[in-house]
Amino acid sequence: MQWKPDWGLRGRMALTMFLLFALYIIFVGVLSLYFGRLLPVVAFMGIFLLGQFFFSDKLALYSMGAHVVEEDEADTEMRKVHRMVSRLSQQADLPKPKVAVADTSIPNAFAAGRSRKSSTVCVTRGILRSLDDDELEGVLAHELAHIKNRDVMVMTIASFLSTLAFLIVRWGWFLGGNRERGGAPVIVAILVSLVVWIVSFLLIRTLSRYREFAADRGGAVITGKPSALASALLTIEGRMDRVPKEDLREQSEMNAFFVIPIKGDFIGRVFSTHPSTDRRVERLRELEREMEA
Amino acid sequence: MGLFDSLRSVLGVSAEADATRAADPEDLFGMSTAYLTMEADLGLPSAGEAALCFSNVDSTDFASTVEEVETILDAGQEETGTKHWRHSDDYGYHWFVLSDSDPEDLVTSVHFAADEFVERGYGSRLLAALFAFEGDQGYVYWVYSFRRGAYYPFAPTGTSSRDSKREFKLQSVLDGELAVEGDEGYWYPLWPDRAGQHPWE
Repeated sequence: MQWKPDWGLRGRMALTMFLLFALYIIFVGVLSLYFGRLLPVVAFMGIFLLGQFFFSDKLALYSMGAHVVEEDEADTEMRKVHRMVSRLSQQADLPKPKVAVADTSIPNAFAAGRSRKSSTVCVTRGILRSLDDDELEGVLAHELAHIKNRDVMVMTIASFLSTLAFLIVRWGWFLGGNRERGGAPVIVAILVSLVVWIVSFLLIRTLSRYREFAADRGGAVITGKPSALASALLTIEGRMDRVPKEDLREQSEMNAFFVIPIKGDFIGRVFSTHPSTDRRVERLRELEREMEA
Repeated sequence: MGLFDSLRSVLGVSAEADATRAADPEDLFGMSTAYLTMEADLGLPSAGEAALCFSNVDSTDFASTVEEVETILDAGQEETGTKHWRHSDDYGYHWFVLSDSDPEDLVTSVHFAADEFVERGYGSRLLAALFAFEGDQGYVYWVYSFRRGAYYPFAPTGTSSRDSKREFKLQSVLDGELAVEGDEGYWYPLWPDRAGQHPWE
């Protein structure tokens, strides 16, 4: 049996990253004209993002109210998760990540952490109740694929200059209003930043969706059961509609991390971090057929 | 981390690539002499059992591969007297358990079985081969990881705790004789269901 690589997906991912890269080159070029003034902003952003990067796992866990569970003090449910994670990591050739749990009824799971060695897989009590063992394994493998593919690092780097552009759009005024050369260059910098921010936002969201597809594939290959993840995605989406909305909105800033994002009032396709569940399930079914062929 | 690995990460295919990489059974035979050292230097004789752990694939071709492995082990049983049976655990993983008082035969049988998986293109589904040793303080194992192509020691003391001191001792004595995994992050536990039992029981 051979898994056929998805060259289409890889190609689109490479193209998206190339466009993002090209956009940033232009952006840096324009910024360099005003660089003296912007230096403090860039330095501040750099330090801020570096900090965010290093504490990303703790931040994610904290915002979900999750805590790490050690294997020897785990309850029966979490012990099962530990064992699944351990074997799936072995299959994926990945050091076993830490395992955390969030006491919420929202059925979801996410992976956090900057490197393969310091990652955490978090599940909610809701997902443990909603999924059977095969489905849970599918979801855990999807999260391990995110870690293996270093998605936190890739997305942090991809969004660094985008965040900087946003900051200039927002606070650019204060950087050079009444200086010797007048306000005009600052307006140019702000306009360029605005364009860069909008375009990069769309590209980053596209990249995020491609990486979800890649993690789905990775997860399916790790478990050898594409259908398990497919049925998990459908189950979670079905359950999600029944969870009270109040609770959901509180968590929505965590969406990029979740296996299935929580739907807000309006998130168009171009703005979403994840592909639609239908399309993900369709792709997994294709993989399933490929395996039998 | 090499450049190639970084590139695969950036393209989001690391997970796929490493999970489907063929098994590396090259160093399995290291165990045939390590048995002697274990008994002579550490007083840990073979427990007469070894096991091959693999994860299932939902496909008919895989099912027939497993049957093929069974046939090979049947043939081996007639020749060397190595008994074997199949076991599936609570986590959906499957085991070929082998029993023979001669450790050399255990290594050979594990190698035959693993080879068949590799031949049929399912080498990537092989998780580990375990070789059991018996001591005063219970069983210890040498686990061969097919992903890493290396061994690591595993000394469970219950159903979710392990004796790291003992494991490090095993590592320091056998390193050089076996290809031992240097990074403990990859020393995955395979817990038994009950204390004092084998992980496949």
